[in-house]
Amino acid sequence: MPTLTIDNQQVTVPDGNTVFEAAEQLGIVVPHFCYHHALGAVGACRMCAVTVVEGSMPGMKMSCMTPAEEGMVVETGTAQAEGFREHVGEWLMTNHPHDCPVCDEGGECQLQEMTIASGHGLRNYRGNKRTYQNQDLGPYVAQEMNRCIQCYRCVRTYQDYCGGRDFGAMGSRQRVFFGRFRDGMLESDFSGNIVDVCPTGVLTDKTFRFKTRLWDLEQAPSICPHCSLGCATVPGGRYRELQRVVSGVNLQTNGHFICDRGRFGSGYVNHPARPRHARAGGSRVSVTDAVDSLLRRISETVSQHGPEAVAMVGSGRASLEANLLLRQWAAELNCPPPVFELHPRRARAIRQTVGTLSDHLASLRQVRKSDLVVVFGADPLAEAPMLALALRQVVRAGGRVVVLDPRPVELPCEFEHHPLTQEKILCLLAGNCEKELFNRLLQDLMAARRPVLVGGGDLLGGVGLQLLGHLTESCDNDDRYCLVHPLLPQANSFGAGLLEGPEQTDLLERLESGRVRALICLESDPCSEHPEAGRMQLAISRLDYLAVFDYLPTHATKRADLLLPTTTPVEGDGVFINNEGRMQAFARVLQPGVPLAVTGQGNHPPREFVPATPGCHPRPAWQLLQQVLGDERTLHGLRQAAAEHESRLEGLSDLQPGGEGLRVMPSSQAPVEESTVEIWSQDGDLRLLPVQVRYGSDHASCLSDKLTPRMTGPQLIVHPQEAEKRQLKAGETVLLKTAQGTFRFPLACDERVVRGRVIVPCLPGTPLEILVPGGLSLPCEIEGEAP
Amino acid sequence: MSLWRDIKGTLQPFWITLCKMLSRPVTVQYPEQKQQMTPRYRGRLMLTRDPDGQERCVACHLCSAACPVDCISMQATEAEDGRRYAAWFRINFTRCIFCGLCTEACPTLAIQVTGEFELAGRDPLKLVWEKEDLLVDHGGHDPDYNFYRQAGIAVAAPRGANPTESPPVDPKGLLP
Repeated sequence: MPTLTIDNQQVTVPDGNTVFEAAEQLGIVVPHFCYHHALGAVGACRMCAVTVVEGSMPGMKMSCMTPAEEGMVVETGTAQAEGFREHVGEWLMTNHPHDCPVCDEGGECQLQEMTIASGHGLRNYRGNKRTYQNQDLGPYVAQEMNRCIQCYRCVRTYQDYCGGRDFGAMGSRQRVFFGRFRDGMLESDFSGNIVDVCPTGVLTDKTFRFKTRLWDLEQAPSICPHCSLGCATVPGGRYRELQRVVSGVNLQTNGHFICDRGRFGSGYVNHPARPRHARAGGSRVSVTDAVDSLLRRISETVSQHGPEAVAMVGSGRASLEANLLLRQWAAELNCPPPVFELHPRRARAIRQTVGTLSDHLASLRQVRKSDLVVVFGADPLAEAPMLALALRQVVRAGGRVVVLDPRPVELPCEFEHHPLTQEKILCLLAGNCEKELFNRLLQDLMAARRPVLVGGGDLLGGVGLQLLGHLTESCDNDDRYCLVHPLLPQANSFGAGLLEGPEQTDLLERLESGRVRALICLESDPCSEHPEAGRMQLAISRLDYLAVFDYLPTHATKRADLLLPTTTPVEGDGVFINNEGRMQAFARVLQPGVPLAVTGQGNHPPREFVPATPGCHPRPAWQLLQQVLGDERTLHGLRQAAAEHESRLEGLSDLQPGGEGLRVMPSSQAPVEESTVEIWSQDGDLRLLPVQVRYGSDHASCLSDKLTPRMTGPQLIVHPQEAEKRQLKAGETVLLKTAQGTFRFPLACDERVVRGRVIVPCLPGTPLEILVPGGLSLPCEIEGEAP
Repeated sequence: MSLWRDIKGTLQPFWITLCKMLSRPVTVQYPEQKQQMTPRYRGRLMLTRDPDGQERCVACHLCSAACPVDCISMQATEAEDGRRYAAWFRINFTRCIFCGLCTEACPTLAIQVTGEFELAGRDPLKLVWEKEDLLVDHGGHDPDYNFYRQAGIAVAAPRGANPTESPPVDPKGLLP
């Protein structure tokens, strides 16, 4: 822990830190380009020069390359260092065009800031400026190479950190070019990050092109709602339109980067079909009238049919506060506690995560720092893309990744793939089959210094995660724990799971038998989330009363007798708990409203001035529920009460948006034992496995137009030998026969798929939406179309 | 002494009035007679065009950032040829204080002041001017300046063909 003096201020830094990092700790910003927190220093730009007055090597040094030493004295403002930095600034600007007014980076440009910080003002060089031809890098990233200062940050991010292979440096000397070999969409699922790291306007967000300057953007720290990892994001919007999402910084979760699904999947906020008005019995009403009518109808139902006739459904999409209030409402009405996850198998996976695994959970940071990660039944790029990036960091640091999964898993790093069926993975975890592989993994896990097990909740279910819990315990030793990183279905699945009462799997039966007369759905859609979607749709249509609080256009909002529009996470405050039990608060970015681009008149905003904002009716679900309950506490009061009531939520009221979040306390209850009956029930030689895909499987990203170029259409993937056996060829349209119906889809073959399984993507909004992920494989048959 | 001063003070105005009655008046008979304002007078704002007749405004948001009363709003968009321009541009003259800071901030010399000051009216909405109201068909104070010829991006001329630019390099070339 050396102590050094920088600009007459003393600072003690950890061993191995550089002078640059020490200065940063003091709040002294030394101008820099090539240094980035996530990428480290390479000493290429020569911008961060400082003068070492006392130390083992006195003189002018690059602060990012000079290790901090005990007793070192450093000056950042000497004439020598300042003069050098000014020259470096001038050299970097030699070829930079004067197009700041038309550059999207203007206002958030590190080159602008650092040029001013370096003191450079006038270009003395009289020669011509170098120019380049630009490339078309696809619909997400715009390139303007003339602005490039050759800092190599994009390549270091794209190739080294994110594992992309189609973007790199080309050319020599004055011609160094950063791009693809030929025009085309960037292939990496993390391509948007090069926009964030580019210190100038070479790589800008094409979806945000010419939309808004930083200083006009409404921004606030938020949490990505697309998967259960809870990455920090900073959404930005203007004129009531969410215009972009950039990565926030949370070293415990995502670090500095986010995936393209989180970055470009925000179209659901501006979606024209979003419910914007409260509706009761088919006509628009005010929110107050809607709440009154809801209260009246529910009290009528309770008085006529008893409290059991009212059922409530919470969700992992709604904030913790809203779910808490829903549970409180159920308790006040004396009706059964809400169901927070409609898919019984997913609910069991969440229950295991929240209960049994809660003292062994690994954060994404711990995954990155691991030396052996074994992934059981998960496709990281589809279920939690940032996990794939974390796995790459494991491999980069010399660790190993082993994946056991039936799907053709791809990762941006080298890994060992064992194609096993879902049942085989569960059987292996129970120690009943594939014993050789199991013993080998067990040995490696025992020997590893920081082992982490990743479990896909969808494939493993409650049983699998319970078995995974047993495995971690057997791999623990005195020095360290073996940690587990389960993947859950939604952003707040953990939070919803915390509130779940005793297991309820009979909601569908209660609906069908008519025991439930009124159903209240909080940001959930039973028709597309329940595994038996068809039966559920029928049961819902027979209800006396369906009340829905939601911000997405779903089947439930269409059928609702009473609809209360809620806000998306970017339009309200709240708390999500991610898959490792980290409570994270998000703040409101925008006020809800129909974007100005939609309400405008021709080529300018409306010229009539009205006091109310169009489409401003949605309110945070917790506020609406407070209105229902007559509760007048503030959000802080609500969180305080929750933390007092629920000991595991300790610290909830102190959460700040944009912070690192806080882990919930481990469960003190005895582990829930799952029945292991479900595992060994496979029949038929071909079974169907509906799974999530990278783009379009979650209810938010399927409504994002920006993601359309990345979406793959519905297709069936099988092992080539399975196709051959049935005389089918890749690319031809085949008939898929299941109990849910017959579908016609193109067939794709992949040798990485396990034999005996048909992999089918779950895509809401397509005929495939009645196949819900999270269940066991289903019997099916595929055959060629009759000629 | 004060008596003398009082007498002078009583008679002098009569004398001055008498003298001025015989000279030409300086009063301008506004509004019948319009006055030519000085070139630096800060009146209503306008959006000028470059020598090629194209809109100069690139909707860079610097004028709206500089505006102390937030009376300028706009939305940028992109034309087919890559030109950035204002999809809409609105100045609310009911708020404008005619300080001229926007014209100082403007990097393309698009927004300029005119000598016009007759903006009074009964309907405040008539003082909210859209782009088509603000655009003029001349270059204002500096008619020869063309931002896109100086900027270093290919809008007014192909890449590398503007003054002080070299032709585009070939990054795949193997020569040293």
